Amino acid sequence: MASIELENVGLVFRVRRQRRIPLKEYVLQRMFRSSINPIVEVRSLQNVSLRIGEGERVGIIGHNGAGKSTLLKVLAGVYPPTSGRRTVEGAISSVFDFALGFEPHASGRENIRYRGYLQGETPRSIRAKLDSIIEFSELGEFIDTPVRFYSAGMRLRLGFSIATAIEPEILLVDECLSAGDLAFRKKAQQRMRETMDRARLIVMVSHDLEVIRGFCGRVIWMEQGRIRQDGLAADVIEAYWSSSGKSRPASDAGTLPPRAA
Amino acid sequence: MAAIQEQLAAIWKLRYFWLSLVRMDLQTRYRQSWLGIGWSLLHPIAMTVVLCTVFHKLFGLDLREYAPSILAGLCFWNYLTTITTQGCQCLLRGEPYIRQYPCPIAIYPLRVALGGMFHLLVALAVVIVLKWCLTGFGNPLALFSLIPALVLLFVFGWALAVLAGFANACFPDTQHLCTVALQILFYTTPIIYPAAMLHARGLGWIVTWNPLAACLALIREPILAGRVASLHDLGLVAATATAAFGAAIVTLLRLQRTIVFRL
Repeated sequence: MASIELENVGLVFRVRRQRRIPLKEYVLQRMFRSSINPIVEVRSLQNVSLRIGEGERVGIIGHNGAGKSTLLKVLAGVYPPTSGRRTVEGAISSVFDFALGFEPHASGRENIRYRGYLQGETPRSIRAKLDSIIEFSELGEFIDTPVRFYSAGMRLRLGFSIATAIEPEILLVDECLSAGDLAFRKKAQQRMRETMDRARLIVMVSHDLEVIRGFCGRVIWMEQGRIRQDGLAADVIEAYWSSSGKSRPASDAGTLPPRAA
Repeated sequence: MAAIQEQLAAIWKLRYFWLSLVRMDLQTRYRQSWLGIGWSLLHPIAMTVVLCTVFHKLFGLDLREYAPSILAGLCFWNYLTTITTQGCQCLLRGEPYIRQYPCPIAIYPLRVALGGMFHLLVALAVVIVLKWCLTGFGNPLALFSLIPALVLLFVFGWALAVLAGFANACFPDTQHLCTVALQILFYTTPIIYPAAMLHARGLGWIVTWNPLAACLALIREPILAGRVASLHDLGLVAATATAAFGAAIVTLLRLQRTIVFRL
């Protein structure tokens, strides 16, 4: 049974006001006890409690800085909670930033292997998927070119193709359905839908409410690091629209999510 | 103990990932060089030629003994400086992965230590061939004692890379401070001069209690003198490697979950 549970989770970033502090300065500060570069605490998440069970497709919405991506990274285990408890059952696959995490001097083909291994693939399993990943990325002969020569769009296509070739149990997705140009975006959305169909539990973050409505049955609305509302996608999105002081697009009216949790 | 076992299992699970990164580092380094792997040996060999010429003239040292000794010393020193400087960068280099995949942080220093050990092995093979060509081996069986010595050096190197990586993630001037420290250590370790010179001038304690000098003895004694290094040297290296390993494990257990906030 795949599940994720957070109990009263809080996350506080402790950052220096100016920059990372050199060792020499740190020692001097310790000696004289007068800090010219104090630590500032940023409360990114506060008292977040939720339980996501097997089969659920959950969207996370909210304004910039509301804590959506931070919450997703806490769910993924990238950020450890500074308070509260996180319990996960099942293997997590996360898709946060397709363009990140490439080895620039290695070719696209080699990077497929590195990313695949990081996602738990073996040489045999990645060999079986290699051709389909290359084909989907549309990189053609450039697949054997070092990634440092790729454009941003090429990196994005390659990253997306690798990330969605996995067999996920728990899939966490952050703002990634706008990958590439228009033609690739359509293909990417179809591919993402297939990946999601294979996953047993999905949590996705997006500013695109249409995408959230299309993919998710349950929506969590984040505001200033707290859960403002958690419920059926249609209800929460409606409330979010109302609170923003905007009227919904006509195409939204009466639309029901295609997939209920 | 359970936490360490869990980490080891996770590291093993990701073995294809970090092994492929080590392979890529080696390929990238030599891909565009017609000298290939010989390129990494060019620097210590050139230094050996220069130092042999100068020290032979100044102190009348026997080149057949001195040349393999200094080459072995420089190869070990290359290992140490590579581990320290690349170790400082290892977590920053792994940042894109750390920010996306919660995998054991220990794999990033492992990447550095494995790459460094590969170069050390190649360099030691050259030292062995050089020694064999110049004077031959009195006791080739002593070379087997290099195996535990290299295991200890690998453990020490990995631990050093862990400590350097975490220190540099917390304090950005770590690499600069390491460079200064290494420069001081270079002259207080018998790399370019024979240890006997210090003993003769009443400074033998610098060599006797210097763990880096003991590391050198573990490499030099079997290759150059055809005998196993002394128990004192072996004990000193083992104690240093154990202390560094312990410090690295404590650092990993205490900081690896929160290091992402420092990157």
